[in-house]
Amino acid sequence: MLPAHPFNDLAGWVEQVAVLPLLYRFGLMQWSELSFGWTLVAIYGVTQMLLAYAVCVPLERAMPIERWDSRRVVLVDVFYTFLARVGVLPVMTFVLFYAAQVRLDGFLADHGYVPPMLETIFPPLFGHPVITFALYALILDFADYWRHRLSHRFRVWYALHAVHHAQRQMTFWSDDRNHVLDEMIGFLWFMAVGLLIGIPPLQFPLLVLILRFVESFSHANIRLSFGRIGERLLVSPRFHRAHHGILAAGERSINYGAVFPFWDMLFGTADFSKDFAPTGDPEAPEAMASGGWVAQQWSGLVHLVRSI
Amino acid sequence: MTMLPLSRRALLAAPAFLGLAPSLARAAGPTPPICIVLDSGGSRVSVIDMTTRKVIHTEPTLREPGHWALTPDRKTLLIADASGNALFFFDPVTGRERGHKLIPDPYQLWFSPDGKFLTVNCLRLNHVDIYHADTLTLAHRFRAGSMPSHLSYTPDSRTVFVSMQDSGTLVAIDLATMRVRWTAPVGKTPAGVMWHDGIVLVAIMGSDHLAVVDPANGKLLRTVLTDKGAHNIFLTPDRSELYVTNRVAGSLTVLDAKSLGFKRRIPMPGGPDDLCFAPDGRLWIALRFASRVAVLDPASGAVDHITVGRSPHGIYLSTLLTDTAARTAMRLA
Repeated sequence: MLPAHPFNDLAGWVEQVAVLPLLYRFGLMQWSELSFGWTLVAIYGVTQMLLAYAVCVPLERAMPIERWDSRRVVLVDVFYTFLARVGVLPVMTFVLFYAAQVRLDGFLADHGYVPPMLETIFPPLFGHPVITFALYALILDFADYWRHRLSHRFRVWYALHAVHHAQRQMTFWSDDRNHVLDEMIGFLWFMAVGLLIGIPPLQFPLLVLILRFVESFSHANIRLSFGRIGERLLVSPRFHRAHHGILAAGERSINYGAVFPFWDMLFGTADFSKDFAPTGDPEAPEAMASGGWVAQQWSGLVHLVRSI
Repeated sequence: MTMLPLSRRALLAAPAFLGLAPSLARAAGPTPPICIVLDSGGSRVSVIDMTTRKVIHTEPTLREPGHWALTPDRKTLLIADASGNALFFFDPVTGRERGHKLIPDPYQLWFSPDGKFLTVNCLRLNHVDIYHADTLTLAHRFRAGSMPSHLSYTPDSRTVFVSMQDSGTLVAIDLATMRVRWTAPVGKTPAGVMWHDGIVLVAIMGSDHLAVVDPANGKLLRTVLTDKGAHNIFLTPDRSELYVTNRVAGSLTVLDAKSLGFKRRIPMPGGPDDLCFAPDGRLWIALRFASRVAVLDPASGAVDHITVGRSPHGIYLSTLLTDTAARTAMRLA
């Protein structure tokens, strides 16, 4: 067989040599339908990591904002990225919320409803997958803007989100540095949006890969601006660094957008004037900034309890 | 929220579905025999010219097309889009989409042999929905186990057997009384179900065999060894052999249809799932994890591959419309 879809072929191979035998061995074959999707997510996640590494590392070396003697604290962010991008966290979250989602959808079905999708809300979209996907990307980025903004607005929520902001050595690995509870709130948020407009189709994983790359790239330690117009079209390392600046940490911040800066411009939170400030949250516990993964997670929990 | 009653597109499609309007097939010369492959991972179906073995067009669905059923009048191919919560109406000759109707979580579906009912297994939502075939209105909803997977009817259409993938059970539903007659454990992760000469065969995907079940009471009569991850069962048009797809082993097991004795094993890597018999004797097989359809010549063992979408699941051949033997073997209404 000639390779046709390199990602699919690789995912199919991993599915057959590793995932299915494991599911079979442990009596979990009822999940074999879904497991291929998870394997694909993991393959694309690894590809995202490799792409980000290949692009960001040379640029971080060539034009860094900051230089550090030790990069030990960055290693924890690498671990976070691995957890998030190869599908460990999505699978855990899926397992936790699957039953709840089934009950909710079943309840709706029993009352004569099916959850809508953009294509059923706006029927002309059906048969135009690229436009539909672009709309989903915009709406989900808009929803994420408000999730992010609210995570700063409420003290209790920010106690968890502070894990993301505590990093003083911000690199492209820092994008997935999140408390697991914060990740789960994010998943619930996504579920709620999914109930309103449906979950986007997955026929364009390469576009998802590019969008995720933009998010990683915006955290990179690269002295880079996209220029006067570019800065207003796509979130750049300069734009997002202003959000992570020590003066912007906490309940009142700026530049919340993940991929598109439009939402910040529209809702008055955009600031294009900041110039590569140092990052970190001065009020976050030291363990949150420089501890290992467990220490950071524990510190987030303690911070949460104290904030109540 | 979207109400369940027919959407605008489905209303447009309904007359064609009910056989009240001429076919909406696009006028364009003679249509070649086609293969329709349902891509669960790519939100679309691929239409292959069976003669040239090329994909001639693709048609969009909403999210996750998985299984199909041919209406009793053979004028419409229903394609179930589970996470899209939609039933699509396709022209079975041209492979063109005609519309859709929103229903919750349609996964596996099949019409009863008498053409009265359409049973729809809702694998994610854990219910079995029985629809009136002529109007596609819900007749009864059963919650009889977790993850309803595949189904098969008795030839008299009195009973439908449904495998419960997560519960490890087979459920017999009486369609005359709309009551569950019995529920019986059959093995780990049962999948494909087939009524076969007075017994029920169930592919046990969590193991390596078929369960032979007494349709009267659900009693396990014996097991028939196949290969790891036995997924689905198919009777050849000449009714002499049974083909079993084995998802974990990546193989097909051929059994004698009368004795259920082992005849041969055919390697088929890529996660063989659904398959269909062509009039020339070849098998068209969806390879779930290989983005391809395999065309197997069982006489020579030669296999050709056709690249399709990400996760080919259900597979339909338009030759079924004229191939009575293949249709009968598949127990199409």
